Amino acid sequence: MIVSLHMLSTRLGPNAVESWSTAILFEALRPFQSSVTRLGEGGIGLIHDYLDLVNVQRENQKLRLELARVTTEKTHLAELEAENHRLAELLELRQALNLPAVAANVIGADATGLSRTLILGQGTDSGIKPGMAVVSVQGVVGKIIAASAHASRVLLIDDHNSALDAFDQRSRARGIVAGVVDGGLIMKYVGRTDDVKAGDSVITSGLDGTFPRGLLIGSVKEVGRDAPGLFLNVSIKPAVDFRRLEQVLVITQPPPQPPGGRKTQS
Amino acid sequence: MRLLLLFGIALLICLAIQTTAPLWLPVRALLPNLVVILAVDLGLRHHGVLPAAMAFAMGYAVDVFSGTHIGLNALFMTLVYLLTYEVSSRLMMTNAIVGAVAVFLGAMVTGASQAGIGLATGASGELQAMIPALVVQAAVSAALAPAVFSILARLKNAIGLRAKAERE
Repeated sequence: MIVSLHMLSTRLGPNAVESWSTAILFEALRPFQSSVTRLGEGGIGLIHDYLDLVNVQRENQKLRLELARVTTEKTHLAELEAENHRLAELLELRQALNLPAVAANVIGADATGLSRTLILGQGTDSGIKPGMAVVSVQGVVGKIIAASAHASRVLLIDDHNSALDAFDQRSRARGIVAGVVDGGLIMKYVGRTDDVKAGDSVITSGLDGTFPRGLLIGSVKEVGRDAPGLFLNVSIKPAVDFRRLEQVLVITQPPPQPPGGRKTQS
Repeated sequence: MRLLLLFGIALLICLAIQTTAPLWLPVRALLPNLVVILAVDLGLRHHGVLPAAMAFAMGYAVDVFSGTHIGLNALFMTLVYLLTYEVSSRLMMTNAIVGAVAVFLGAMVTGASQAGIGLATGASGELQAMIPALVVQAAVSAALAPAVFSILARLKNAIGLRAKAERE
């Protein structure tokens, strides 16, 4: 007690810590203190790192989900944009045709694959009836052959049961564009003296009472003059890629007959 | 009644596949004729008036979604049923291979007849040019036939129908 009081009374000055005993203790403890502190810092760092890792993992998972959501949304938006673009084109086409028309989605194709038909997702409830013309931005698609309340079937122009009145846009040579059993499109009843060349555009004449005049059917792919007979063998490349059709326009009112035109079979 | 229900549902599924698959199949000829498989299964395993009427109805349903001649598929589906029925009644046993051969022939005859009738009614083209596509389609249908027969057999067992030949 007395010793401690003495030490207390004699070491109250400003340089009290600089005594040799204190210094020895400081130096002796320093490595331990440093090690323990480093160990502690290391441990805390490890815990922090682990927690960070867990957080990063969670964040990573969250970001992955977010990325997947954004990618899906982006795809969806791109799809909507493409659809919007197609519908805008159809709207322009409808305005250009100046005839009442209904846009319809393609929801199916021919059940056997042997005929060329498409199924549309709109029917009589939308004003679609058998006999109406179906067109797309690229050109003529076909004709409605059956319709229910919410669906209808289109006979494509390249089906072997299809035929429509047409002419060569350049030379005005007339013929009947029809499908071929084994696929493809031909222009029948073109006279041997008619001026038809490969690359010519073939358009609707409007005389069949179904399609408006001047719609693009396709272009002349080949003209065969070698075979005997009264007519040329004209093969046509359709303007429309029927496999890629997604939206079409159904013209709900028969087109006005061209002056002097007579109705022909189609 | 259970047979009618089973084949009615199977027909709807087959038609849904057949009408949507062409939109994403790269080649049209790869589209199998699943309804022919159903008709062959009926012909091999279910004999009587009801299955024959069902084959006709299935063909008629195909007509609604294919071509322009209503009744054409109905006729050929009934013929496929009757021929398969005749074959199954003359053979000691019928298995998936017999069924697959019947499906191949049925799909070929149905396809060729459709094209032939098109040509007979004034369409342009050549039947020979269609043969490769018809063979591919018939082969795809025949390849799928054992799997479809197996699914149908399991479903028949599940609903308590006999999978072996019987008179309805």
